[in-house]
Amino acid sequence: MLHRTISQSTIRIAIGFILGLTVSTTTKAQQEQEHSRFSREILPILSDRCFTCHGPDSAKRKADLRLDQRDSALKSKAIVPGKASESELIARITSHDPDEVMPPPKLAKPLSPEQVETLKSWINAGAVWGQHWAWEKPVRPMIPKTVHSEWVKNPVDAFVLSRLESKSLQPQPEATRTELLRRVSLDLTGLPPSESEVSAFLNDNTPYAYEKLVDRLLASPRFGERMAWDWLDAARYADTNGYQGDGERTMWPWRDWVVQAFNNDMPFDQFTVNQIAGDLIPKAHPDQILATGFNRNHMINGEGGRIAEENRVEYVFDQTETTSTIWLGLTMTCARCHDHKFDPISKRDYYQLFSFFNQTPVSGSDGSGQSAPVLDMTTPQQQIQLRKASAAYNALLKVVLAKETKLREAGMVIKDGKYSTTLPVGIESTLRKGPNSRIPENDTELTNYYGKSQPEYLLQLQELRKLRQVRDTAASKMTRVMVMADSPKPRDTFALTRGTYDKLESKVSPRLLSAFINDPRTESKPEKSLNRLDLANWFMDPENPLTARVTVNRLWQMLFGMGIVKTTEDFGLQGQLPSHPELLDYLASEFQSPLNGSKPWSTKHIIRLILTSATYRQSASAPAESWSNDPENRLLGRGPRHRLPSWMIRDQALAISGLLTPAMGGPSVKSYQPTGIWEEATFGNKTYVQDHGDALYRRSLYLFWRRIVGPTIFFDSPNRQTCSVKSVITNTPLHALITLNDVTYVEAARVFAGNAIRHGGSTDALRAKWIFQKALVRSPNPNELQLMLKSLAKQRAIFQSDPTAAQSLIKTGESPPMTDLNAAEHAAWTQVCLMVLNLDETLSKP
Amino acid sequence: MQTPEDVISAQFTRRSLFGQSAMGLGSAALASLFGQQSQGEGISGNGLPHHTPKAKNVIYLFQNGGPSHVDLFDYKPELSRLKGEQIPESIVGKARFSTMTSGQTARPCLPEISKFAQHGQSGATVSDFMANTAKIADDLCFIKSMHTTQVNHAPAITFFLTGSEMPGRPSMGSWLTYGLGVESQNLPGFVVMTSRDKEASCGQIFYDFYWSSGFLPSKYQGVKFRGGGDPVLYLENPPGVSRNARRAMLDDLSALNRDTFSHVGDPEIQTRIAQYEMSYQMQMSVPELTDLSNEPENVLAEYGPDVRRAGSFAYNCIMARRLVERGVKFVQLLHAGWDQHRNLNTQLKVQCTDTDAPSAALVRDLKRRGLLDETLVIWGGEFGRTPFLQGKIEEIKSWGRDHHPYAFTVWMAGGGIKPGMTYGGSDDFGFKAVQDPVSVHDLQATILHLLGIDHTRLTFRFQGRDFRLTDVHGSVIKRILS
Repeated sequence: MLHRTISQSTIRIAIGFILGLTVSTTTKAQQEQEHSRFSREILPILSDRCFTCHGPDSAKRKADLRLDQRDSALKSKAIVPGKASESELIARITSHDPDEVMPPPKLAKPLSPEQVETLKSWINAGAVWGQHWAWEKPVRPMIPKTVHSEWVKNPVDAFVLSRLESKSLQPQPEATRTELLRRVSLDLTGLPPSESEVSAFLNDNTPYAYEKLVDRLLASPRFGERMAWDWLDAARYADTNGYQGDGERTMWPWRDWVVQAFNNDMPFDQFTVNQIAGDLIPKAHPDQILATGFNRNHMINGEGGRIAEENRVEYVFDQTETTSTIWLGLTMTCARCHDHKFDPISKRDYYQLFSFFNQTPVSGSDGSGQSAPVLDMTTPQQQIQLRKASAAYNALLKVVLAKETKLREAGMVIKDGKYSTTLPVGIESTLRKGPNSRIPENDTELTNYYGKSQPEYLLQLQELRKLRQVRDTAASKMTRVMVMADSPKPRDTFALTRGTYDKLESKVSPRLLSAFINDPRTESKPEKSLNRLDLANWFMDPENPLTARVTVNRLWQMLFGMGIVKTTEDFGLQGQLPSHPELLDYLASEFQSPLNGSKPWSTKHIIRLILTSATYRQSASAPAESWSNDPENRLLGRGPRHRLPSWMIRDQALAISGLLTPAMGGPSVKSYQPTGIWEEATFGNKTYVQDHGDALYRRSLYLFWRRIVGPTIFFDSPNRQTCSVKSVITNTPLHALITLNDVTYVEAARVFAGNAIRHGGSTDALRAKWIFQKALVRSPNPNELQLMLKSLAKQRAIFQSDPTAAQSLIKTGESPPMTDLNAAEHAAWTQVCLMVLNLDETLSKP
Repeated sequence: MQTPEDVISAQFTRRSLFGQSAMGLGSAALASLFGQQSQGEGISGNGLPHHTPKAKNVIYLFQNGGPSHVDLFDYKPELSRLKGEQIPESIVGKARFSTMTSGQTARPCLPEISKFAQHGQSGATVSDFMANTAKIADDLCFIKSMHTTQVNHAPAITFFLTGSEMPGRPSMGSWLTYGLGVESQNLPGFVVMTSRDKEASCGQIFYDFYWSSGFLPSKYQGVKFRGGGDPVLYLENPPGVSRNARRAMLDDLSALNRDTFSHVGDPEIQTRIAQYEMSYQMQMSVPELTDLSNEPENVLAEYGPDVRRAGSFAYNCIMARRLVERGVKFVQLLHAGWDQHRNLNTQLKVQCTDTDAPSAALVRDLKRRGLLDETLVIWGGEFGRTPFLQGKIEEIKSWGRDHHPYAFTVWMAGGGIKPGMTYGGSDDFGFKAVQDPVSVHDLQATILHLLGIDHTRLTFRFQGRDFRLTDVHGSVIKRILS
């Protein structure tokens, strides 16, 4: 057995250099085995069952014993290498004495007999120590040999196939061309293939037709829109502040920046540096400053009675944690209050990272969605308009307030030290609230009560509402994007007791996570002078073990529905182990320094690599045992199949029906929404004013997102309140109700149906086939065709006998009615189209 | 108790679910509907229930804003004796208040603005603002020694409902449905309804993280029934589509999906077929739920004049009873309007009028139907209100009380709770819980206990840690168990 005198990665690199990438040695294999045994088998047990009291958290450590460090474990004789029977650890975990046994019974976390055996055999084999896999930087792995190497299209497949073969399994055959076309179109653009794309691809019989298709889609401007969605979820982008006031903000130029960055395949290192520290780049371009809007997307609390500093500290918490989740795949929240229980992140580390973001001039007292620092994108004309409108409103407000004070005083009675009023309670409280915080019902009450006695006052109220509307419209046109900036004078940062803003502990300075620092450039700098730019550069440093892995893992999750590391948000000790560790490292290496001459940090390169693999191109149809043995497809023995995200289901329905508005970018729009949603959530303070015309059919990316109540048409969508990198797919009746009953889907179905009647051909069968082709890019099989026609017949009978019902159905939505069509026919086909839009296959990636 | 009709209709529903699809639905597919049966994801509760449950259902009448314990339940003659005089520093100590009064140096004692009396055989002290609650005092258990760590609304409510002041943890209803599953075949297991005072004097928002499933699978999230329009969004068929037309379409949709399943093999397709069927069931069961035409007039009258107004607290209370009758496990009502900073004299009474009769009617109604034994009812807010005045003593018209986390009152009834008792107590000023203090985590541990759950053993693995509702705290309040 080789002792660990030089670091594991050094060995790997040396071997890689000397022997090239295809030859292995026994020594290496043994070493590799013991090493991976520690990180894959031993560390998870120790971490889960022991580290709570014997891990990195110094405050909670019991008996001064650390099991996360070899020295401590050996010195205390908890572990005696080679001798499990003499190791105190084994004695304790096998003890029957409730006072002796570990973990203590009250933690309810006993070790299983298998786990005990694993620990014993590891100690007996010498207790070879290693390190958590994710803390070591990825090294380009050797491409494994496979039996059926003819299946391998690129290295991705070698890793997948060798694992399958080790389990005596085989991959599924390639999906059909039309399945591939639909799958890859949805994955890369979030839309079904256009008619011209269908014919271009299906008529291309050259050998690399599929690869060319992938390249065409990667070049489509729709690619950036598709990629932006997941980034917006992670960046907690919304069009309002959240919390009680939930005021609006104008961050959409930042959203458009993201779309463009993906479309231009901006290398991920630039993408990172621009968003984290674009403002600190010497001679920064306005676009680079705009990019820093990323870290101002957090919620803003305008609640009365809040302490400004408390707000400000919360914003910095959010920035710290969002950044570490996205770039490092680390969940830092626990280290706000105490050293991390499992990962080598101390509370001090947390606040050192926090201090990078703690330098902005943001005060916490400004509850506005345009609080400084901002990138002002308004025009002088817009500013003048707003000034005028505000002045007019404020002048009248003053008059109204004075009047209302008089009205209240008129009703006041003070008797026996108690105060009462002769006004009805509702009127009194409505008056007290003042014109700014009333709900529409309050205005009605006032109108009813003062209708006769105070006509002039009521006219003033009416005028005031009008002026407020004018002012709000002018205000909404003012685009100011909140961005990052550092104050000239650094702000002192302190560790905080339990994360409480005013309970200061020791002073800390910006510093990179101590467990991962290996960067001589930043180490040589005096601590004080480190800033966000250093942090961003450290994320992208070749020595950083996490950024590349964490990022390619998210891309994998986007394409396969689940990451190679299932816990996309946690690469720490308690996160799940990668299903294909070498594949993950291979992709990370290709991301950092590709071999084929592609530029480094190219997102499109990684996506192309994955999409052109045989793994991705497998059919998703598989025998029952494949589904039952591997329900989550962790072995990748079949193609990716999962329900589409709800935003994509909407975009797809709009595209299939032909309603989709292709316009890109600009202020967010308000499509259909059931009445009263905003009003109910905001006590009537916010009224949803739906847009009309083309705006109704914009892509989901551009829908206005009110943070406390997001668009109701989406489901399983992160709420955009805090960072979310995990995709969630559930299956509930409420989802069915949306896609069956929401006006967006019903209107899409009736326009889809009208087009089928007009363009699908002259017979029912031709039209049914046309519908199938449009929605699923394939022809129906005979059984499906028969079911479609049967369904049509039933619906036809229903609507022929009820012309009124038919008329109602075909008028759904605001797009013009198709009056040239027979109403009952159109309604019957509408039902068929709504059914097709709700097929499991339509809702899923094929 | 279910009525015989309910039993029949539940069986019918189940049979029709199984019967209509030729292939039949596996029980696994059915189990995933709304999280019926407990679910093995993460690490669950190690064999639930952990012990024989006393309660099957919970109705939580949450009073947002912070009801004033010193005006409603916690009678303190000392406040009258020292009216207008500074509350002793020895009592206040270093207590923190919200920024509304943290700058105020005068803290004059303010006695109750109502009248207290003792009620029932148990002799519970209840204010005349709560006349109906007073009448059922012998069914209630008052906990007068509640305390919390939070002084602002949203964090304090989040703490009560999720065990943590920071948004993002699963709420109590999600934990319970995750752990225990639900019985109802055509309604969600965890339903939320909100209301607010008529004058809308209080601007507290109902954040969706109050009923979020947090990191639990999203099917355990509370389903919010809306106050107006469809109680469930998108419940109504599109204009012109009859129930018949929908039925026909769903049958064909199901047949087409079965065709897909036969060659793809993805079991998720079977679940989807079942979920579409469930959506059809809900289109019936939800309107039936909200149809009050068969409720006797005298019962409706007990709930008060607002009972027919959708979105009122009274309406939500009778809905809560109808929901538990139909097998819904956790009904979370949230009623806003208890935040009397500057309008104690006018608004507190209004607030009590809106909520007192419906709350009491609900308990009586459950009792008459034999449901109280298996239904735990909880009434209370996120904190109490200061025994001292917010504002100036001479400005009577704007008297108020600030948020007060150090002592307040919550009552519980039914579901294994000892009736007719008062537990714990505050000091002479109602300032601090001194006798048998009860923390928020203690209350949560007790609720779980009544449902047959050991709060230390119902956990879920997320981001590498086993989380539970009570974090690492909480003990069951044994003496209030029947």
